[in-house]
Amino acid sequence: MRFLAIIAYTLRESFAKKTFIAFFVVITITHLLFLFALNVDLVSGGMAAVQLFGKDVEQQIEIEKLRKIVIGIESGLALAMYGAGIFLAIFATASLVPNMLEKGSVDLLLSRPFARWQLLLGRYLGALSIVAINVAYLIGGAWLILSTKTGFWHTPFLASGVIIILVFGVLYAIMTFVGVTARNSGVSIIAAYLVIFFSPLLLVRDKIYALLSQKIYQWLLDGIYYMTPRTAELGNITRAVVAGETVASWTPLLQSLAVGAGFLMGAIYIFQKKDF
Amino acid sequence: MTIIQTENLSKHFNRGKLRALDGVSLQVGAARVFGLLGPNGAGKTTLVKLLLAILHQTSGTATLFGKPVSDYELRRRIGYLPENHRYPDFLKGGAVMDYFGRFAGVPKEQRQQRIPELLKLVGMEKWAATKIRKYSKGMMQRLGLAVAMINDPDLLLLDEPTDGVDPIGRKEIRDIILHLKQQGKTIFINSHLLSEVEMVCDEVAIMNKGKIVVQGPVAQLTSIGLSYRIETSALAESAKAKLSEKFARLDLQNGHLEVTVQDHAELNRLIDHFRESQTEIHAIVPQRRTLEESFFAAIKGATSGDFNEMTKSAVE
Repeated sequence: MRFLAIIAYTLRESFAKKTFIAFFVVITITHLLFLFALNVDLVSGGMAAVQLFGKDVEQQIEIEKLRKIVIGIESGLALAMYGAGIFLAIFATASLVPNMLEKGSVDLLLSRPFARWQLLLGRYLGALSIVAINVAYLIGGAWLILSTKTGFWHTPFLASGVIIILVFGVLYAIMTFVGVTARNSGVSIIAAYLVIFFSPLLLVRDKIYALLSQKIYQWLLDGIYYMTPRTAELGNITRAVVAGETVASWTPLLQSLAVGAGFLMGAIYIFQKKDF
Repeated sequence: MTIIQTENLSKHFNRGKLRALDGVSLQVGAARVFGLLGPNGAGKTTLVKLLLAILHQTSGTATLFGKPVSDYELRRRIGYLPENHRYPDFLKGGAVMDYFGRFAGVPKEQRQQRIPELLKLVGMEKWAATKIRKYSKGMMQRLGLAVAMINDPDLLLLDEPTDGVDPIGRKEIRDIILHLKQQGKTIFINSHLLSEVEMVCDEVAIMNKGKIVVQGPVAQLTSIGLSYRIETSALAESAKAKLSEKFARLDLQNGHLEVTVQDHAELNRLIDHFRESQTEIHAIVPQRRTLEESFFAAIKGATSGDFNEMTKSAVE
């Protein structure tokens, strides 16, 4: 129950600092854009026409075309929300761990009957909860609006929300590690964005090999590739899942989760040993 | 029962270059008010943080209630008021107490009962619904004390509990401390305010440069042996001379005598002398050193044994 108290406390802090509210407002504006500005009337009009006159072979082909249009729109939106959602989530949560570790605050928390790992993990899960609630609102609301507008209820779109939360979880594990070691929100943000920025480059690192003078730099790039989350590939996976395409490999997700778990365990280990 | 026990507890920083705590051994029993004094940088806060496992010791041992301090469940029985505490300023006073009560594992029903009681005890009942960013320093200190008591702890660790509090508030806090002692609680106080410590503490330890220089009951530390101030009616010069001959460790001041005797028998001989010479005795007051004087003497390097020696040589 005390563990849940830390999560609740983190949510309360986020709410009080308006980050939760800001996140919510941005998402609501996005929904309003979908609701009023996004033109999918040709889709709904086409669907309605097909339904009115029954479904023969030609009409099935029309439905299939419309379906692909809707999926195309949704997979594009999912990719956009993947990027925007993670961007916002990083800013919304970057200060949580460093704030907890400030002198005067951390003393009060460490003097309570918690194991240190409970305190840090509770804070981590609290941040994840903040993002999960907002992402659920983002994706769930977008799905409802799009589905209502198009008449086409494409549930794989919801899977993009799950992937966004998982990817954020991995990035936040890195931010938690940096937060515990550097105790600085700015450095945590930089660390997360470095991962996001370099991920697409690492994906095409074989094209960079030719520019590198020695083999060791290639190994270094390979090492970084395998030891950092593959956010670029996960963006592609998100799009593919929403588009209903077969995902060639789930290795990027599994590897990223493993990296995230490693950073989180590292953060807990350092936190256990640290003097405050 | 021993509540706090440390054995050669040390904490070094910078690979041993800074010895914040150096071989500290002390014991604090139940239902005692123990004061820890020392100049800035003496190691007082370091010791308290080691007891709470906020810092990890370099060597030595520390136990609370007979168990290693690393056992985090011990902290269910502990209340802590840090020196520079920072509660989340977006919360109201009552909410701060509720959250930290939750963290301490206090059930909801108990929190609902204890929060208004404790806020009233520290004089903050009217401020429970106000965000703490509007609190003054003294109010924050009172709230901190209430939060430290939310889980009805058996041991209270208070670091500068009256810092920033007005004189009336200080008296109220002293009364709370004494009331808690009567309830069987153990209170461990870090303080710079020697007069405050002298008023509430049963026992004190004085630290300097990471070591305990002297430790003992307040009465013992402030005692300078069998020294008395005796006020009498006017003494003739011949009487004064006779007194000086008979009683070597006697200091004739303006209107009174200060004398150190070897034992009570010698004191009684002095009283007999006055009576024989028909000198009126107005008062016989045991001399004490203030805790402040003891503190300065200790910091200058004296041990508890040396205190009395210093005083004897001063009188002679």
